[in-house]
Amino acid sequence: MAAAESSDEQLVAAALGGDSGAFGELAARHKTRVFGLVSRFAGNAADLEDICQDVFIQAYFNLRQFRRESPFEHWILRIATYKCYDYLRRRKRERATVTSVDVLLEGGYQPAAPLPRTPHPELERLYDAIGKLTPKERLVITLLELEDRSLQEVSRLTGWSVGNVKVRAFRARASLHKLLLPLT
Amino acid sequence: MNDSSFTPDPLLDPLFARAREQRPDTARAEYAFETRLLARLSQRPEGARVGALAWRLLPFFAAVVLVLGVCQVEASHDSQEAEQAAALQNPEAVDLFSSLE
Repeated sequence: MAAAESSDEQLVAAALGGDSGAFGELAARHKTRVFGLVSRFAGNAADLEDICQDVFIQAYFNLRQFRRESPFEHWILRIATYKCYDYLRRRKRERATVTSVDVLLEGGYQPAAPLPRTPHPELERLYDAIGKLTPKERLVITLLELEDRSLQEVSRLTGWSVGNVKVRAFRARASLHKLLLPLT
Repeated sequence: MNDSSFTPDPLLDPLFARAREQRPDTARAEYAFETRLLARLSQRPEGARVGALAWRLLPFFAAVVLVLGVCQVEASHDSQEAEQAAALQNPEAVDLFSSLE
């Protein structure tokens, strides 16, 4: 299939017809956006790869559910958002099983930071504080403030109402402010 | 942020702006991702396929169990009726059974 000339919809149709190469082309087209979003949540490169693969595998096996009314990118990013939320909840559960002694021995809780970047003490503190939010708050604040998405976009990605997103963002900002205040 | 729905926060807003500027570089992680993805899709374990098929056939199995259950109830009902009819025709047999109890 002449992938360069094909639209996402044509590639989806080809993939549904059994052309796995067409799905590979879809993945190649949209991986940067998916990686960009997931990297805001994944704690390390292995988790990033796992989550991104899970996103595309879920898309592959649910391709028939893709409604062509909205672009494929919206659909894949919605799946990515759900996967990130699942990941945050799973991490929270795992942390809950760690005893307080373990935390002390580790020298405190280290939140899942994005991929290696230019270290900056203020940003480290921000990521540290974001890591202490609840999964829902963290999801909302990351999409709104770090990914620079609108309330409507966050609502579409999460499936929560705009009002709900607003309330969670307000609470998250208040929590972050409290967490960062003593350190400044 | 795209919306000005929140009160400006002099503490948070500059930090968010700086964090937005520093997007994680995922180019290395993305390298040949689609190749790895397609390899994983082609190596989907046979067990998962069998499991998926079993789930799809679940309504069929449930219907078979239901039909078998109905047939068994019908059969036991028929045999009870036959026993009662036989007992009525041969009262001595009934006495024999009651003496055995």
